[in-house]
Amino acid sequence: MTSDGSAAAGDGPMAAVDGSTAAMVAAPMLAVRDLRVASASGTIVAGLDLTVAPGETVAIVGESGSGKSMTVKALTGLLPEGVRATGRMELPGRAELAQGSSGLSGRAGLVEGRSGQAGRAAPTEEPAGPSEPTGRSRHAGSSGHVGSSGHVGSSGHVGSSGHVGSSGHAGSSGHAGPFGHAGPAGRSGREIDLAAQGTIWRDVRGSRIALLLQDPFTSLSPVHRCGEQIGWAISGRGRAERVARLLAEVGLPADVAEKYPFQLSGGMRQRVAIAAGLAADPDLLIADEPTTALDVTTQHEVLELIAGLQRERDMGLILITHDLRLARSRADRIMVMYAGRLVEEGPTALVMDAPAHPYTARLAACDPPITHRLPVLPTIPGSVPQPSSVGAECAFAARCAFAVDACRMAEPALAEVAEGHRAACLRPETAGLPVDVPPSPAETVPPPPAVAVPLPPAATVSSSPAETVPSSPAETVSPSPEHSGRGREAAASLFHAGEDQGIPASPLLSVEGLAKTFPGSAVPALDGVDLTIAAGETVAVVGESGSGKTTLARCVVGLERADTGRIDFHGTATGARRVQIVFQDPYSALNPGLTVGTSLAEALRAAGRPKSEVGELLELVGLPAAYARRRPRALSGGERQRVAIARALAPRADLLVCDESVSALDVSVQAQVLNLLADLRRRLGLTLLFITHDLAVARQIADRVYVMHHGRVVETGPVDSVLGAPAHEYTQRLLASIPAAD
Amino acid sequence: MSPRPDSTANGRSRRIPVVAIVSAALLAFVAICALAQEIIAPKALEQDIYLGVVGGGVDGHLFGTDQLGRDILQLSLAGARSALAGPVVVAVGSMLIGFFLGTYAGYRGGIVDMLAGRYADLLLALPAVLLAIVVAGLVGRGYWVTVVVLIVLFSPSDVRLVRGAVIEQAPRPYIESARVLGIRPSRIMFRHIAPNIVPIVVANLLLNVAFALVALSSLSYLGLGVPPGAPDWGRQLADGRQLLGDNPLAAVVPGVLIILTATAVNLLGDWLSDLLDRRVVAR
Repeated sequence: MTSDGSAAAGDGPMAAVDGSTAAMVAAPMLAVRDLRVASASGTIVAGLDLTVAPGETVAIVGESGSGKSMTVKALTGLLPEGVRATGRMELPGRAELAQGSSGLSGRAGLVEGRSGQAGRAAPTEEPAGPSEPTGRSRHAGSSGHVGSSGHVGSSGHVGSSGHVGSSGHAGSSGHAGPFGHAGPAGRSGREIDLAAQGTIWRDVRGSRIALLLQDPFTSLSPVHRCGEQIGWAISGRGRAERVARLLAEVGLPADVAEKYPFQLSGGMRQRVAIAAGLAADPDLLIADEPTTALDVTTQHEVLELIAGLQRERDMGLILITHDLRLARSRADRIMVMYAGRLVEEGPTALVMDAPAHPYTARLAACDPPITHRLPVLPTIPGSVPQPSSVGAECAFAARCAFAVDACRMAEPALAEVAEGHRAACLRPETAGLPVDVPPSPAETVPPPPAVAVPLPPAATVSSSPAETVPSSPAETVSPSPEHSGRGREAAASLFHAGEDQGIPASPLLSVEGLAKTFPGSAVPALDGVDLTIAAGETVAVVGESGSGKTTLARCVVGLERADTGRIDFHGTATGARRVQIVFQDPYSALNPGLTVGTSLAEALRAAGRPKSEVGELLELVGLPAAYARRRPRALSGGERQRVAIARALAPRADLLVCDESVSALDVSVQAQVLNLLADLRRRLGLTLLFITHDLAVARQIADRVYVMHHGRVVETGPVDSVLGAPAHEYTQRLLASIPAAD
Repeated sequence: MSPRPDSTANGRSRRIPVVAIVSAALLAFVAICALAQEIIAPKALEQDIYLGVVGGGVDGHLFGTDQLGRDILQLSLAGARSALAGPVVVAVGSMLIGFFLGTYAGYRGGIVDMLAGRYADLLLALPAVLLAIVVAGLVGRGYWVTVVVLIVLFSPSDVRLVRGAVIEQAPRPYIESARVLGIRPSRIMFRHIAPNIVPIVVANLLLNVAFALVALSSLSYLGLGVPPGAPDWGRQLADGRQLLGDNPLAAVVPGVLIILTATAVNLLGDWLSDLLDRRVVAR
């Protein structure tokens, strides 16, 4: 499909004639063939074909290490030093495609988008160019064809714009090779060698491909005004008006042009970044995790904005994301990458509803549902291998429940399983099957020791809650080594019962009227927060950034001091035995200079426990005791987070605070860690205060939930009722912003 | 540290560090001269006032002699001792002050931080040469007096540097976790934070050696360092001033040695801090 499509697009007029609506059939505006990326240490992307049609959204989905980010960098010539790409990229662009097609829908949309009119363009295009005072028509070839004015300046052909305009005479149509007109110097025809370096990319980036990055806090220059940054890609006169129009297009007030990025919120910054990306009228927008750094309500707005702009401009969109739910709600087609390989691609509905690769199916299953709680979250055993370590085998075979010998003999090629739906699996029929054995929550990354290893005697490990909170319900403390979920249900129902009276029967922690305003800040971070946690209970605090949930957690563990209010621990424990914390970022959670064993031994010694418990702690979190000799850098993110949990368990504190502890992890690893926490809670009678922005995670782990907004608790109650039937407007808005799971 | 197979996968570190090797070789040579002065330059202070000043190559003197008839080559080799000993002591001494005061101020904050900050401000406001002259007037001249003055003068920038590095580390989760675990502050400071700021400390230490070499030479040039007649590059420069007509090498040789040594220390420092940075930062 790839080669056929792109060839047709290149050769001329036939391809797009009948493909105006069905994106799959339309001629691609981007066709990448056999993209390979490698560094000195080995393969990063092992051969990828990719096509994007005008107006189409293609999502590239994968976990960390899948190669999706390197794919983006290769397509924009931004690979880091020492990393090289090979392959070809064809970029016919919308205008050239429009030349070949009879209906000029693509161009019409484009012109409309640029002039910022609300209505749809007329189906037959009037000579649009001359009617546009600023003369920003696109590529010279197409301009000639439709008879628009010849000025090509704005399409970002730096330095080559002026003289190209002369080709803009009506009647030069039907002539193959519009690219020859458009790019006499830098752009070598329509095809780009991905191994190329240097100035050739200047003609591609901006005018052909724009890149939207994840973090709006670092992708904008802090010392330049927003208007200036948006205008960087605009050459010639009329820059200010154009910036103003772009700002209006992305829904920002005009005065943003005069502001610096730090004066704007995250969502506004991302809008500025979008405006800057659109400034040179790209054919294709690549959005690399564009909303991952944003709050859920902002995410929704930004995604809506991108979708709207895409429609108006008939722009292609490549959406890079780790979030299957997001891909499902936004993409026309989904490509699933694993360990540098494309394992499945096809129309969204087919890939999501009838996956033909077990990895896709398992990954989708790992994503915690928002609507209900699963007793045990499905996980994928193991972790994503390094692309370079995969030999002649299916990269997923080691983690696949259905792998047969043939899977380990050769790498399966992509094979069509349905119209436009292809998967690199020898047994695509297995993808839909349930995995027989639900993976154990304590399952280890290199499999099993922990399952086989006898659990640390429950009496010793769970003693502290039992001793310090004598009145805590016995059921929650009793260990249940089977992963039946029975204990949790018992606990849940128990606390829901307690909740009926408003406050749990025996609070372990009670927070009253907590308030804090950071120096120099006008708004309080905490504005009178009340919260109680009973022994053995799991309480989630959810909210967006700035809601005060992290400040609350830091006050509880003593890292921050509140201005007013009370925090009471009702146990007898003091110091480190009261409360411990697990942070978000597994990469900075451990001292890089110390071995895992040293870190844990230190934590044990500080709590007055023998060093010999290091192995026990590691096994408790599902890691082999031999990991004690490793340094953090030899561990994966999930493994590091397990060590961080083990360290927090060392003093056997009554309360464990998890501050976004699973947010930085891949979906499959997140599920493993959530299961681990649920399991630990069952076995040790842990009490958890779980801070998260992710409502689905809260649904899976918490008994009760507090919804925070602007430093206040706006809603609280059992997780099922708060998330199932939200009473407060803000909670409803949060839930509505989550990408629909259909 | 145990071998880490993945650290070699870092593509850019594979080249042979030619610059660093050359720098290290030069410094090793200077160090040997400093340690084995009596063997390498036994006749450094041997005067021949009848010979007086001669140019390079005359009478077996490769670089000629100074006005006392001392061999410039031997004198310059002997000068390695004061060129290395003082600067190293200055750099280490000021970094010790900077390390402890900076770590404490950065981690503890509050009044300690405030006092450390004022200390740094005060010293940075003092003109260095003036202070050295005043101290020399009060205590008497001497190489080691000058060294102590330079230690004090160099310390504020080290305090600030270390303080900044500590403040950068302090909010990291691994430090906060240690706090929540109830680990003693002194242990957090010196067991957890200190190893992770080693690259910046080492780099600055070497940079300070180079600065101190130039500063000490300048003060010797002004007559505030070594006593007259002692082998010292700065002193030689000063003495050689009058001989520029008769034997320019008397001034050029020590001058070039100062430049080469200071540059070598700097380059080695750069290389070393890059290396350590990669070790510490590598995930």
